[in-house]
Amino acid sequence: MDINLNDLLRQYKSHPYEDHHIDTPHTGVVSFRVKEGQEVKGPSGQWLHRPGTLLYILEREKNPKKITSSFTGKVASLRTELEGTFVQAGERLLTIQHKLNRDEIIDRILRKVLHIFRAPQRARYFFTPETVTFLEKETEKGLSVSTGDEIIIMSLMKRDTFLPYDGPPGIIYKVYFQQGDLVEQDAPLFGVCLPEKLPFVQKVIQRIRTEWDD
Amino acid sequence: MENKRILIANRGEIAIRIMNACDELGLDYVVVYTAEDSASLHVRKALEAKGPEAAYRICNYKDPNEIFSVADHSGADAIHPGYGFFSENFRFARRAALRNRPIVFIGPRWEVIRDLGSKINTKRIAKQLGIPVIPGSDEPLYSEIEAEVLAEKLFYRQKKQGIEKPSILVKASAGGGGMGIEEVNHLDTFRQIYRRIQNYAKRQFGDEGVLIEQCMRDYHHLEVQLLCSQHGEIVHFSTRNCTIQSTGRQKRVEAAPGFDPRSIGYPFDAAKVLEQMINYSIQLAEKVKYDNVGTWEWIVTRDGKPYLLEVNTRIQVENEISARISRIAGYDGPVNLIREQIRAALGEKLGFSQNDVTFSGTSIELRIVAEDVKRGFAPWCGKITTFSFPEKPWVRVYSHVPQDRPYEIPTEYDPNLALAIIWGMNTEQARERARDFLSQTVIRGEDSRGGPIVTNLSYLKKRLDDVLKF
Repeated sequence: MDINLNDLLRQYKSHPYEDHHIDTPHTGVVSFRVKEGQEVKGPSGQWLHRPGTLLYILEREKNPKKITSSFTGKVASLRTELEGTFVQAGERLLTIQHKLNRDEIIDRILRKVLHIFRAPQRARYFFTPETVTFLEKETEKGLSVSTGDEIIIMSLMKRDTFLPYDGPPGIIYKVYFQQGDLVEQDAPLFGVCLPEKLPFVQKVIQRIRTEWDD
Repeated sequence: MENKRILIANRGEIAIRIMNACDELGLDYVVVYTAEDSASLHVRKALEAKGPEAAYRICNYKDPNEIFSVADHSGADAIHPGYGFFSENFRFARRAALRNRPIVFIGPRWEVIRDLGSKINTKRIAKQLGIPVIPGSDEPLYSEIEAEVLAEKLFYRQKKQGIEKPSILVKASAGGGGMGIEEVNHLDTFRQIYRRIQNYAKRQFGDEGVLIEQCMRDYHHLEVQLLCSQHGEIVHFSTRNCTIQSTGRQKRVEAAPGFDPRSIGYPFDAAKVLEQMINYSIQLAEKVKYDNVGTWEWIVTRDGKPYLLEVNTRIQVENEISARISRIAGYDGPVNLIREQIRAALGEKLGFSQNDVTFSGTSIELRIVAEDVKRGFAPWCGKITTFSFPEKPWVRVYSHVPQDRPYEIPTEYDPNLALAIIWGMNTEQARERARDFLSQTVIRGEDSRGGPIVTNLSYLKKRLDDVLKF
């Protein structure tokens, strides 16, 4: 695992931004609550229980839905011409330019270091019931997996397939999906850290913690 | 009925057939689609025929708010649910009927959908009327112990009857379309399978209720097609035979009529059994005051006994083979049951009676699916590059796959590619024509790793020999 940490960090330092596009989740009539260039906040609080800045209201079937920001950043390319009109599902309304913080940089880098088990196809994914029980109970230790373990169920076209883990044995360090999520092909499902790499991973995290200031 | 606008709340080939029916009746329509289906033919056809306002992108076909929101915005007067999705959802139908701006639900009254929507309740009503049903649980089971006791009883019963290899079926109570059914051959394996189905049901349908019934071996799966109006008229459109199914119990080859005693020998009086089934079905329809199209599903065992399975309170995929073998006196064009369904839902009288309907010939439907028959009918995903089939006066093909450009099969839905409906003067000719059609059909494509497409064409060809034969 030879990733050049210095290069990666330099890259993130020169442009620590990510663009998040905000599309309508469903149909309805839009009324905006933000202006172009406005700073918005993502959810906050210990359990992220305080919602982010109100971006717009989408009213469908007399049911107004408040859409709040999931990211902290600046509003860009706001489509003001859609104000007060009926929009279809998946219509792009605005973009939020988000500045990456330390934890997010760590997450981006972890994805490069861990052995990532990816979704072989666009489908819905579940952990097997036994795995769920284990993950719920033993969050501290982490679940160790070995090659050939059937821990994931892929649900495709209403048919269930058990997927064997095909990577090297290790510990599930990070899970990237929720039970039953629709995951795109090749998107990460979970990341496994090899036991011998654990010190390296910890070093990476340590280094970013000290070198990065939010 | 003029100037009405229909919202077609479905996808794929059924959306296209509903569009055709609307065209025949001179009705306007709009369609909905999800991002995955943007390339589907039903979207393009609607846009071409009715302009840019005729197709709405929604987040999910199964979100009722999306359907109603588009219905209001587009000014639709009625919603056609097709099959699957909301077609048998009484809550959806009830909401359509009772909202501030009522919308016609193209299907039976919501009370009927509710009462017949549950197989268990149907079984109960049928029992009251003396209609034969399959032995088994008459309510969903949630307790493993209860389930096991019943399983034991069913095994015992079969042994007593002298059945050589007794077995039972474990089904997801909320399931349908052949999904979530497994067979238990030995009481020892029951618990394991029961738990698997229970887990499956919980994941897929959010309800872990399970049904158990005796597994009938050596039977044919038949259907009775009824058309009823809101004015108490009931007309049957003969029967269908849907015995040829995939291992997942999904239909692959269907034929109408249900048996052909004129050219094929049966170990029982086939004509009498068909008549019995039709009469029982009409009896049940009268009892619940059925008022739209519906299918009564039956199984017929080798000893010539029919058992009612369930009622599908919607139009079915295979409705058109019934239409193909039917003629309505005084009506020139071909019968279209979707058209009749829409008329009935909009409150029209049928305008004909049973005596006006005559039947001739045999019709066969082939379901062309991208699946690997040798690997347990596993669905195939990838891109279709060539798709062509012969054009003949005796065949009609419905497909949402464009013929003029590559098409990526969306993984969210079943990998069905096309339906071919073939008619012949008799069973032999229909079978011959179906064979002819299959050998001239070309499907090419490749998956994400460059492998060639897998389809069930040769499987269908092989199974044609078995059509209507017990």
